[in-house]
Order: sequence, then C-alpha cells, then structure tokens
Amino acid sequence: MAGVFLKDVHPSAGSDWLTGLPARGNCLSLLAAELEHGEHPDSHVAAIWLNIDRFRQINNSFGHIVGDSLLVEFARRLRRALPLKGELARVGGDEFVVILSGVSEPEANRIARSLQTALSQPLGIGTQRLRPSVSIGIALAGPEDDASAVLERSDRAMSEAKREGGGRIVQAVNQQHPVQVGKHLAREELGVEEMLHRALETGGLFLDYQPIIRVADGTAVAVEALMRCRVDDQVIPPGRFIPVAEKTGLISHLGDWSLVTAAEFIQHLNRQGLNLKVAVNVSRAQLLTPAFAKSLHGVLAYTGIAPEQMELEITESLFMDKADEVQKNLHAALEAGFPLALDDFGTGYSSLACLKDLPASKIKLDRAFVVDLPNDTRSICVARAVSRLAADLGITIVAEGVETAEQYECLCQAGVTAVQGFYLARPMGELELQKWLLA
Amino acid sequence: MAIGLNHAEPMSSDPLEPDHTAAFDRQLEASLRDIGIPPRPRILELVNLEIRADEPDMNYLTQLIMGDVALAAGLIKTANSPFFGYRQKTRNVRDALAMLGLKTASNAIAGLILRRVIPPSPNLERFWDASERTAQLSAWLVQKVGVRYGITSDAAYTYALFRDCGIPILMRRFSGYKETLSRANADASQLFTVVEEIDVPTNHAVVGGLMAQSWWLPEDLCIAIRRHHDVSAVESRNGGVPGASSRQIALAQLAEKLHQSKTGMNMTREWDKMGRACLAVLELGEDIPPELLAEASEFIETMADY
Repeated sequence: MAGVFLKDVHPSAGSDWLTGLPARGNCLSLLAAELEHGEHPDSHVAAIWLNIDRFRQINNSFGHIVGDSLLVEFARRLRRALPLKGELARVGGDEFVVILSGVSEPEANRIARSLQTALSQPLGIGTQRLRPSVSIGIALAGPEDDASAVLERSDRAMSEAKREGGGRIVQAVNQQHPVQVGKHLAREELGVEEMLHRALETGGLFLDYQPIIRVADGTAVAVEALMRCRVDDQVIPPGRFIPVAEKTGLISHLGDWSLVTAAEFIQHLNRQGLNLKVAVNVSRAQLLTPAFAKSLHGVLAYTGIAPEQMELEITESLFMDKADEVQKNLHAALEAGFPLALDDFGTGYSSLACLKDLPASKIKLDRAFVVDLPNDTRSICVARAVSRLAADLGITIVAEGVETAEQYECLCQAGVTAVQGFYLARPMGELELQKWLLA
Repeated sequence: MAIGLNHAEPMSSDPLEPDHTAAFDRQLEASLRDIGIPPRPRILELVNLEIRADEPDMNYLTQLIMGDVALAAGLIKTANSPFFGYRQKTRNVRDALAMLGLKTASNAIAGLILRRVIPPSPNLERFWDASERTAQLSAWLVQKVGVRYGITSDAAYTYALFRDCGIPILMRRFSGYKETLSRANADASQLFTVVEEIDVPTNHAVVGGLMAQSWWLPEDLCIAIRRHHDVSAVESRNGGVPGASSRQIALAQLAEKLHQSKTGMNMTREWDKMGRACLAVLELGEDIPPELLAEASEFIETMADY
C-alpha cells in the first residue's frame, strides 16, 4: 500500500477533497449501515478493496500532480463501472473501497473483475503509455459482522493479492496475516514494461546468435541465442528488460518465446545442412514455473527438433538452487535429452559436487577470468585447472568474453575446448549468421 | 584470425563433446523426416513485418499478398464475409486490406495460413469443422453479447480457430494421441490437459500457445490458447491472466457449448468444468440465457452443413 496521500484523506474526514468520494470514516459508516440492513440469507454485503499496483513508483517518478490526475481518472473509471447498488470510497492514497449489498459470491467476484478491467485500461502520461494494474481483496459479510473487521479482511485479502505478484483478485477466506511483498518498479522500469508489451505486439523481440568456436579446428560447434528487444528503433539492452520481465511475470512468456524461436532456427539450420547446437539462456523465474518442462516438450513436439540440439544455459547459482521446482525442472530437462551448460562458471558459490548430481555437458568460464589475460597469472591458473577438471569429466569448457588475440592464445594454452567472444565472432542476426557459417 | 573459424560441422563430430553421435544422428534423422508444420511461414512473416512498420507500404503489401493467389482470394472472401458487415463488396486485395484494417487483416492471414499448414485429412476433418464452427460462433457472440474491452469479432474468430491447433501437431507426434483425446473429452472431473499429460509429456494447449507465439499472434491471444482448459484462468483468482484472455477463453467455451447443445456433435465435458466461470466472465448470469440459446440455434442453422 503506497499511502502517499494518506495525509490528505484523514480517517475522520467526511469526503476526499481530490475525488469527491466518501473517505475512510464515511466508508465505515456506509458499510456498517449496509451490514445492519443485510437480511437475505443467500446474499451478502461485500467489501472490495482496490489498490493500484506500484502507484508509489508512478507518483515518485512522475510527480504528485500527475499522480493526482491519475487518481481522479481511476475514481472516474470506478464510478462508471460501479453497479447501481454499489458505494465507492477512497480510503487511502491509491486505495479505493467498493461496498456492495445484496450480492451473491459469484456476483461480487464478477463485479470485482469488471472493476479490475475498467482500471486496467492503458492510459498515457506524456509520451509514455502505462498499463495500470490493480490488486483486489474481497470480503463477504453478513449482519453479524463488524464493519471495521470486514474492511480489515478485505484489506488483508488485497495484500495477499499483492503478495502473489499484483494484478490479482483474492477473496478473504480466513484471518491469516500474510506478509506483504510488493513489486516495486521505478519510473524507468515502468517504461520498460510497457515497451516489452509493445515489443510483443509489434514483433520487436528477436534473437541474435553468437558463435562458440572450437579451439582445435576453428569450427563453430554451437551458437548462443541472445534475446534482444527493439521498440521504435530504440534498443533496450537485456540487462534492463530481463529484470523487469522477471518482476512483472512476463519472463515466462518471453522465455517460451525464446525457446520456440531458437528451436525454429535450429529447424531452419537443419534444413540447410547446418547442424549445430543452439544454446538458450534459462532464468530462475522460468525454472520456478511448474509448466517449464511441458514447454520444453511442447517445443519438441511443435518443431520436431532433437533435444540434443538445444542446450539450456543455466547460471552456476541456479545449478545449486535447492528450490524443489527448479531441481524438478532441471532433471526433467535432462531426462528429456536437453544438454545443460553451466553459465558464468566461477562467479557463484561453486560446488563441484553439483556436477556429479546434475551433470552439465558444458562449463562456460566466466569472462572475469578472461578479462585480465594474459597478464593475470591467477586467472591463467584457474582456466588451466578448470580445463583439466572438465577434460577429466568429459565436459566441454568454453571461455566467454574473449576479445583479443592475446586472450585467445592464452586460453588455448590453458586447455579450454572452445571460446566465445568478439575476437572471433560477435552476436549476429539469423541471416548474417547463416552467411557467416557458409562463408 | 589465422585459422578458418567459420565452417560449420555437425556437432556430433566433436571428439570432446559427450559421445552421443549415433543416438543423435538417429534422432535428428527421425525429426527431420517428421517435420510436418513449417515454422513461421515466410509469407506471414513478410506481411507482419510490413504491417508493423511505422508507415506500411500498401502497394508492397498488396503485391505480397497477390503473389499468393489462395491467400489473396481468402482475404477478399474474409473482407466480404457478413461478420464485418460491409455493404460494399470488394474484389481486390487492396480494398480488402483497407476494409479490414491491417491488424484484422493480419489475424485473417494467420487463420488462412493455418488452414494451409495443417491441411484437412480424414483424421482432422472433424477437428477443422469443429474449430471453424466454434470460430464463427465466437465471432457472432462478440456481436451478440457485446464483450467489452478490446475483443473484436475477428480476434475472437482467430482465437477459436487457433485454440486447438496443438491437437493436430500432437496427433502427428504421438501415435496413440487420438485415444488420449477421446479419454480427455469424456473425463468429467480432471482437467482436459491433465488427462493428456498421462500419455504425453506436454499438452495441446502448451503446444498451441507456443505455435501462436512463434506466429506473433497477439499476446492476450497466446495466453488464452495456453490457458484455455485452465479453470483458474476464468475464475476470479485468475493467476494474472489478462482480462481479454479470460474473455476469449470464455467466449469460445460458450460457443462450443452452444454448438454442442444444438447439434449433439463434438461432445466434451469442458462446460461442466468451466461453464459457470465462463458465464460469470461474460456477465451472463448463472445459466445460458434462453434467448441466447434460441438465437444461437438460428445462427447455427445458417452455417453451411452445421
């Protein structure tokens, strides 16, 4: 709950100066009156608590004047979507309560959903478009209930909706006190979120591919797929859009998109007789999704590629992640035949035991061990030791971030199997890569 | 660079990779043989690229579509169809694009190409019939029920046409999938997709959703395809499913139910599991309104060979 304007909506105030709606004190009286009159056994009084997700960030980013005008707009939308038998109040900075009387449970849910839809329509602030999101808690009550307690239950249910990631509706079922964990996006991130939606609408997402080249003979043995986002000729680097996608839950959608797009590219390469692996980065958010393994099998069913051709790159810390769902999905991927590559090796809590329990077919030595070559003898020692270990385990070792001839020579001498970096090949689009491969 | 770096070789020849050469070759061969669905059809990609441009070149688009006679004919037929209610009929692609608008045209083109890449076969005849009728009824329902907030008749039509596109794909991949489908259709308690997953490692909603993503169908439509057997997607605690996706799911389920009620064909148990929630999403009360049933019945009679 942002409560940015709480000072303007004093609990004892009759109505809110900004929106003209009843304020919290009046809201309680209204609810108490409805509870008193509610007599029908099959109908309820419902308190629907609505909280605009991430409003504090909107307010902080765009200023209070814009925030105020948005609140007025939200109040207008709610008034229009409100059924005749409903009352509307503003109970906090970005919080509204709708009181319904004589409603069934499904009816209360239906109305909550239509309120949510009304609030969620896109709106423009200057040149930016926002998609507001709202978390909703519903509490149903009868004549025996106390108005304050009912409001509190709806507030807690709303907090639970927020805790689940926002944009949800939760009906209060008990008196639990869930911990509230809001999703906080800064102004820039809100813009990135909107751009991601637009990229999905306009085809602005694409994959670039960077070759991974075998030291022994200089041939490309694989390419790493790198997700890119471009909207209105503006390129948004992955470092900016991936964290936002993870915060907003869009990552599953983007993750599936990158899996199927990479698989189609494999299919396309196969048709041209170019049979090499494509490595796809997989995030923790994806691995926490119960349906991840189904997506992997779905990609196989749709494209008909062999799973061995698609390598899943997992960061070292993720490899060690103890979350049940993560481990379940990693094992399911292995069982389905997808090779796993251990990405950014050497930067996390390395435990070589993980290589025994969850066998990776490739280790990617982090660029941190490459950047200071050939002068840093400690990096050379690490590269040599890891290469020896990998060779003993029958695992390919790839050095990432190779940018100079000196680094390349040094790594070859250290015994790495393959290298990736701008010195040999930069990331390329599909067509460019095909030309490069066939040149 | 002193060494030849850019010659691709089959990865199985890499002596340092884990030795799976033979198995891999067999699988690759089998998978190449087995490919039935061309990914991201080129014509769709080209059309979509142009449509998404800041200032689409209508001449180029027209030429592009006219280069594919069947596609051009299909688009003109779509523009002239009663769904769009234009009195004026067109006989050329350029006018068809102008009448439909580029977004609608893009959906229509995707639908036309879908039919081409999954051609009717004895096994799939009923599948296509059912999809087409559900699609037509969904589009009709949008006009009838007036579903708000961003769902147009053509989007409802496209969604219903693509909704089950995972089925023919899984039929090609898994030999016993037809029997799996029969069991899933008849199961009154478990989710359809749960029954599928007893026999196959994925389900048709996931596969269909992936295909829709790769074809760049709108985000809410992709989500609706992926979640169309998921009751939680149309319930109040909808797990973050966009409202437009919930409505798409509900509309097509209702359309399917209306068709089943009228014809007794293509029976499933999905309405038993999802009907109540779908009606709530569509704000139609607790039962299908009798007048809607009657009007739907009349509309179904107007569909050829219903």
